Amino acid sequence: MNPRAYFENFFQRNGRALGTFLLAVVSVWILILILAPQLFMVDFSFRHNLPPAEIGGAKDTYTLEHYKFMVYGSAQSQGSYNTVDLGVFLRTLLAALFVTMFDLAICYPVAYYLAQSASGGWGRLMVLSLIVPFWVNEILRAFAFRILFGTTGVMNNMLMAVGILDQPYDFIREDVALYAGLGYAFILLMIFPLYNAIESLDKNQIEAARDLGASWLRIHFRIVVPYAKPGISSGCTMVFMLTAGALAAPQILGGPSSLWFTQLVFQWFNQGQNWNRGSAYALVLLISTIVLVTIAMKIFKVRLGDIGK
Amino acid sequence: MRSDKFLQWLMIAFLLAFFAYLFGPLLIMSVTAFNSSQFPRVAPFDCFSVEWFNVLIQDTDLMEGLRNSLIVGFGVVVLAVPIGLAGALMLSQVAPRLRAWYYTVVISPILIPGVVLGISTLVFWRMLSRSLGADFLYDGIFLTIVGQATFIAAYSMLVFLSRLQRFDAVQEEAALDLGATHVQTFRKVLLPFLKPAIGSAAVLAFLASFENYNTTVFTILSDKTLTTVLASKVRYGINPSISALAVIIVFLTLLGAVVFEIMQRREGARQKESARIARGEIKTRSKQRNIMTEPAMITLAVITALGLGSVYFAGTLGVEDCKQVAKAEKRALSQKRVKERQTLQMFRRAAPSKETGAGTATAPKVKAKGTEGYQSIFAPSTLEGMAGQENKQEEEKVEAKGTEGYGNIFAPQNLEDQVDSDKKTE
Repeated sequence: MNPRAYFENFFQRNGRALGTFLLAVVSVWILILILAPQLFMVDFSFRHNLPPAEIGGAKDTYTLEHYKFMVYGSAQSQGSYNTVDLGVFLRTLLAALFVTMFDLAICYPVAYYLAQSASGGWGRLMVLSLIVPFWVNEILRAFAFRILFGTTGVMNNMLMAVGILDQPYDFIREDVALYAGLGYAFILLMIFPLYNAIESLDKNQIEAARDLGASWLRIHFRIVVPYAKPGISSGCTMVFMLTAGALAAPQILGGPSSLWFTQLVFQWFNQGQNWNRGSAYALVLLISTIVLVTIAMKIFKVRLGDIGK
Repeated sequence: MRSDKFLQWLMIAFLLAFFAYLFGPLLIMSVTAFNSSQFPRVAPFDCFSVEWFNVLIQDTDLMEGLRNSLIVGFGVVVLAVPIGLAGALMLSQVAPRLRAWYYTVVISPILIPGVVLGISTLVFWRMLSRSLGADFLYDGIFLTIVGQATFIAAYSMLVFLSRLQRFDAVQEEAALDLGATHVQTFRKVLLPFLKPAIGSAAVLAFLASFENYNTTVFTILSDKTLTTVLASKVRYGINPSISALAVIIVFLTLLGAVVFEIMQRREGARQKESARIARGEIKTRSKQRNIMTEPAMITLAVITALGLGSVYFAGTLGVEDCKQVAKAEKRALSQKRVKERQTLQMFRRAAPSKETGAGTATAPKVKAKGTEGYQSIFAPSTLEGMAGQENKQEEEKVEAKGTEGYGNIFAPQNLEDQVDSDKKTE
């Protein structure tokens, strides 16, 4: 279909006024809000950090300096690697992976129960109570975990009263608070894709497997998990992307010696005053998370179209 | 069969643990809001008090942030909901070859980290405002609305898509055949059908905007929203007025959930009635009450009012007396400590001076560990500086140290500096 015929068709179907409105609004969204800023950021990250007066001048050329800085560090320490930033980068990705697995492990049973066993009012109450904590501000949730895990916090008091600990354990320095808080933040985004996927599974399949003598574990690994694979990958993708890109929880719950990669980005913008470098770091984060998710989907043979269902 | 029973119990235990994880932190935070102690904690619980709510209301930073958050939320709803609607309507009309691409592009803002969205919005609009010479484009509130709307529009689109799946296009065709214009069809057929979705998309958009931090922290520039104020407060020393804010938000959320449930039941009853009319069991629809006169709503309002009233009275009456008692107890405790210390000191003086030296050397270690303010009081260096009966001063010191249970994150000096600068800004 040639474009002109296509547009004629479009306007015929929607009428002139409505068609114009739809087209205008959607193009503003896609072009000005989504694509242009992203593309400009890519361009921006390849340029020198210059004062406003010199932008567009002779010095305004393309450069790889910001990406080089992330790998090799500053020019003085040329040759050796920028171990601090690379370490933070790897740690963030690994920790995000860990949080994703943790969420999957704790959400799968709940989603299964909700989808297959809970019914009527009880099920609705459970869904509602899953949603309520999600509407409490992200910062306040992190704050709650700080109260919980502080040195004089409830967790320490409780463990010491029971006698498991004899002196306060520093949950914040050991990043326990951070992982607990991050896992907490995205529970809902794991449960609902899982729930949607498992709900449509025919109960008869499980019954049949049980009648034929399959063990409980076998039923899950041979029937439920393969069936729910799109939901699992959808939930894992969302949780992984959001955890790797989280900023508030690491700022509030992170230990003194551990940084999250987004905090480096934040530092280049605020303290470092090097927006170009911050953009380069942000882009590295974006691309590496997308690449990881794509690889994972290839390995587990899930198509992109299954995600977001 | 026995293993089935066992699994069932295991499941119940797991669900309990899961919901404890979900609600425990919020519950504990809520309790700390009513403790008169300077530091948000559950135990020791000094006095039941609502003073932190007063502190909260008098906090001008937070109130300014709240005002901006409301403005941004309103702007995002106005911008994102129509975009989401247009995006959803467009999806079915894009040429089939382009559909997958279109979907990938419009859904991508949900998956792109909020930090990246904030940064790209910031650098793009700064460039635009510079090259156009239009300074008004480079404004914190405006940029935040634009940045948030980019991904919140995608949320709204998903809401509209799920509603549109149930739309029967025949209705539209019928209206067009009967001579309605496209705009009329849109207004009289499609929009009424989408009305519930518009409502939920607007609520969703507002809430998502209200609680957003990752994008906002970059795009807000020198302005502030509720979340950015909160984040900076939480990072530099905490006090229970933040818990008080959390209590208000949790309370409003619960209230919203209950009202939502009541409305769902009403809708359910209405649909049952329609079904009965269709079956011919009844002739006419019973008159729908105004939602405010629904018995469940009245009960809810009465319970809420009574609850709030009793909390207010319990939290204001007798708090001063209770505080006096608590203070006296603390003073007695610290006097006891000083006495113990004096005996210790006398004992030390008697001992060779070598030992005192060794004791001083260990003092910084204790501090660096920073597990608890109380520990450093026992360090000999503190002791020596405290010759005599400076009871009062010592008590204040204990209090101040007590408020920095997180001394390990922010070195004590930092915190004290922060307190100073806070005072200055006040």
